Amino acid sequence: MIQHFPVMAVMLLFLGAFLVAIFGRISPFIRDGIAILTATISLILIYALIKPVMIDGQIISYWMGNWEPVEGYAIGIGYEVDALGLFFGLLVVTTFWLSGIYSLGYLKKDANKMHYYTLYLMLSASVLGLVLTGDLFNMFIMIEIMTFASVALTAFRNKQDIALEAAFKYLVLGSIGSSMTLAGVALIYRVCHTLNMAQISSIIGGQFNLTTIMAFGLIVSGLCVKSYIVPFHTPAADAYTAAPTSISMIFSGMVNKAGVYGIIRMVYVVFRAMDRSSLQTLLVVFGAVTMFVGVTMALAQHDFKRLLAFHSISQIGYVITAIGLGTALGLNAGLFHAMNHTLFKGLLFLTAGAVLTATGTTNLDKLGGLSKKMPVTTVCFLVGAFSISGLPPFNGFASKWMVYQAIYEKASSSGNFLFAAATITALIVSVMTLASFIKVTQAVFFGQVNPEHSEVSEVPFIMQLPMVIMALLCVATGLFYNKVQEFLLAPAAKAALSVTNYIDRMMGEGYAESAGVADILWQPASFSFWNPLVWLVLFVVIFLAVYIAIATGRKNRGAILENGGAYDPKYATFFSGEQEEFSQVGGSDLFWGFKTDWKGYYKVMQGLHSGIVTDYASYIVMAAAVIILVMFICMR
Amino acid sequence: MLNITNILMLLFFVLVFPGALFTSAVGLWLAGVDRKVVARMQHRIGPPIRQPLYDFLKLLGKETIIPHAANKTVYLGAPIVGFISLAMIMLFIPIMGFTAVSGSADLIVILYLITIPGVALIVGGSSSGSPYAGIGISREMVTMMAYELPFVLVLLAVARKVGGGALVFSMQDIAAWQAANGSLLFHWSMIPAALAMLLVVPAEVGTQPFDVAEAETEICEGPLVEYSGAPLGLFKLNTAMKMFVMSGLFTALFLGGLGTGIVALDALIFVLICTLVVILCISTIHAVTARLKIEHLFKFYWTFVAGLALLSLILVWCGL
Amino acid sequence: MLKKFIDDSALKSPWIYHINTGSCNGCDIELVAVLTPRYDAERFGFKLAGTPRHADIVVVSGPITSQSKERLLRTLAQVPEPKCVVSLGSCPRSGNVFKGSYSIEGPLEKYVHVDVSVAGCTPKPEAIMEGLYKAAQILKEKREAMKK
Repeated sequence: MIQHFPVMAVMLLFLGAFLVAIFGRISPFIRDGIAILTATISLILIYALIKPVMIDGQIISYWMGNWEPVEGYAIGIGYEVDALGLFFGLLVVTTFWLSGIYSLGYLKKDANKMHYYTLYLMLSASVLGLVLTGDLFNMFIMIEIMTFASVALTAFRNKQDIALEAAFKYLVLGSIGSSMTLAGVALIYRVCHTLNMAQISSIIGGQFNLTTIMAFGLIVSGLCVKSYIVPFHTPAADAYTAAPTSISMIFSGMVNKAGVYGIIRMVYVVFRAMDRSSLQTLLVVFGAVTMFVGVTMALAQHDFKRLLAFHSISQIGYVITAIGLGTALGLNAGLFHAMNHTLFKGLLFLTAGAVLTATGTTNLDKLGGLSKKMPVTTVCFLVGAFSISGLPPFNGFASKWMVYQAIYEKASSSGNFLFAAATITALIVSVMTLASFIKVTQAVFFGQVNPEHSEVSEVPFIMQLPMVIMALLCVATGLFYNKVQEFLLAPAAKAALSVTNYIDRMMGEGYAESAGVADILWQPASFSFWNPLVWLVLFVVIFLAVYIAIATGRKNRGAILENGGAYDPKYATFFSGEQEEFSQVGGSDLFWGFKTDWKGYYKVMQGLHSGIVTDYASYIVMAAAVIILVMFICMR
Repeated sequence: MLNITNILMLLFFVLVFPGALFTSAVGLWLAGVDRKVVARMQHRIGPPIRQPLYDFLKLLGKETIIPHAANKTVYLGAPIVGFISLAMIMLFIPIMGFTAVSGSADLIVILYLITIPGVALIVGGSSSGSPYAGIGISREMVTMMAYELPFVLVLLAVARKVGGGALVFSMQDIAAWQAANGSLLFHWSMIPAALAMLLVVPAEVGTQPFDVAEAETEICEGPLVEYSGAPLGLFKLNTAMKMFVMSGLFTALFLGGLGTGIVALDALIFVLICTLVVILCISTIHAVTARLKIEHLFKFYWTFVAGLALLSLILVWCGL
Repeated sequence: MLKKFIDDSALKSPWIYHINTGSCNGCDIELVAVLTPRYDAERFGFKLAGTPRHADIVVVSGPITSQSKERLLRTLAQVPEPKCVVSLGSCPRSGNVFKGSYSIEGPLEKYVHVDVSVAGCTPKPEAIMEGLYKAAQILKEKREAMKK
């Protein structure tokens, strides 16, 4: 029974997409009903796999049409769900379910909602299929569906100029990525005569010849386009900004992660190349550059969603750096950060959407003072902002800590100064992340209310609900990260490292051994250093103590006064004696000293982000060439 | 593990020594010494050393006005959060041999906990809704970015020096290593890092010439512009505590291992060394310099100070 | 007990906020002289605050011009209790040589209760010191009276 769940979850979503397209016109209720119902069932099906896969350590395999391997060759399409795939599957279903709920409230004013839900279900199904499949060509097909659904959704609000432009860029650049993947898959098929990932893994066996290196380089470059690693990141910024916010959330929570999943699957399982220091260095350098460029570009933005888009790029840099270390701890940290990124970035996109719904703009220079109008959104935003900046006790702190520890441990044991530089970059990027979220906090939620927005009110409950769930998840995964580690991360990381099981489950017991495949040793990482729960208790205790001290001192203390209603100069903002007026220190006004000192850097960056598709395409091709060249030189 | 004695011990650690009470008492003492020393250097008599305490108590007795543009919860909660995190940092810093809480990776906890008072100040100031505060938080954040790079480099250099090939982030191990091999300040490859750290301390605390964020003569005390009464007093207390935490961190990183083994005596020595550090790197610089501009501050930290720290890191990396 | 400490501290840490309402700058310079090493008001805990929200003593110099009147009143309203108002020099007291001018709306007493008035054109730093110290004592009394 249970082995049908993964394929049912994927197929149900595809079915839902067609049903919405056919019957969606009848009534909005049927349309929304089909979309939410299929999303919910698929969520339940995937969550039901936690027990067997994560806890009992099973690997679920499923041959489509019961087409099992013939004479030792896997011809049919196989689904294979190990803990790594399920880990990403859980992220995917959680994200698209919350996004679906959110869209119910968010899309109030849009036309063509039927198209939206059709594409939304296609996108969800393709990403879910991508992370659950065990077939390389099936993976490519899912990438294609994902890319084209994303392109169409980017252009969904096509009344904005930016939407079509972004969709066009996405289309061209995404197709380059897909083509590279396809070329790689074709080369692999030529060498291995199979498309099943388990079998490819055992045939290649971590030994490379010229064809497989070429294939490896092409596939990794193609997946880099999907995960938006600098310099492949260029379509991301526009697409995230132009797409409806519920879709931006899916982009950063799922589409992005699909690329990351693909990279992990390729380098750890299919090609098993992570023991090579050249590949480690390559990935860590790309990761470090990605996080640095992402965050510095984010600091310069003055659009809420665009800023978040560049942060998505930057945080993926952390993930790539961590998984590029090739150690158990690094992989663990990378997975944890990928998960946290899905949670907090999704949350932040949702708050951006709430601001957009309430005020009609995401321009950081025009907003301000919304904290009194939108208290729930503000609290959720602050949770997300503190999480992404890595302040304790939120989840970002736990995962970033693991990342730092993993990189610096690697640096210490290998003595490679490049890794130490990556540690420094990671720590500095964290502060810059904090800075850019302080900028958003000041420019959107605090400060003074723009007179244009004096009538703004909080978003409806259906939009608050996903935000609150995500905020609670952010806090919970930060506080109980030991449980997360035990039930989700450790199985997933272990699954990525124990290739033998993966091959055997698919191709039959003993197949891997006969092909001479051995696992990378899994060492459980120890994280006894920080027990957030105890510290939370302490935090509460001190808070109480301070409160008691203040309360008992009430007789002696000065009163706390608040403005009653009528205007009173006593409560007015201090303007050196002048009459109070609207004067908000907005997004572009902040961090002046920093921007002055970095003028040269930003000039170069501005030149590089020219907005011309041919430029961007050339970056992608050049970077792919570099990756392939490095592989040719170092991996033979 | 969590029996009643342990909880009581923990509470004592958190509330009295070396937590809230001890930290604030020593912080106020250091702030008083700082003001007195600066006054003497400028040929003034200066306020009594108890002066910061008087300031704090007086502010408790004043009215607290919440401006109508402010978000009340954040406005009142921010200083308390800053206070709590500062009291908690002292639990991780070994007072010579004695640590209240030990772990295996304390340096990064400290690095992050130390940013929280700054973030509290920024968020609190931002929530008050004043444009002066807006400019103030912008400068505070740039200052934070400025000193964070050298700070991180110093911490990594120390971790590498103590750990060698292995990974050591634990303050306790650092203290133990120094007890065995002599204080880090006396290893010549660490001297540039110590100098860099001495320059990080005043920026973190926010004293002249690095008080661009709270420049009272140009932007009306920046983030604190709308604060009055008890919350303002708490912020002033936080600044004083930061002085102790930062000088204590310097002492623990570079002059650890000088303890005698008796906790009370160790604490006394620790406070004395902290006082010296404060006089050296806060008061002296304060007395002889004028306030920097924010872009100069940033450049100074990312070139000169970070260069010193990087020099140390490279030396240590080469095994010196 | 705590109340007594707080009341005593009111005397020992008075922070000054200075408003110039059209003064000729003479009194302002003398006020600054009070803070310099020669007179060093900081030994009594006096400190120049940057914003009225932090202030205990508001020092007003100048004859209250019609331009500055509103700004003065607004700023005075923003000072938290307990507070003292000190008029510095002859101008806020009487208008001094500017008296009768179309643009003068003084004296200060018309708008706010003045606790201490330091006379002179300009007053000597010693006199300003004494005035400020008296204001600090009044501050303490006000603080004691506040929570009766």
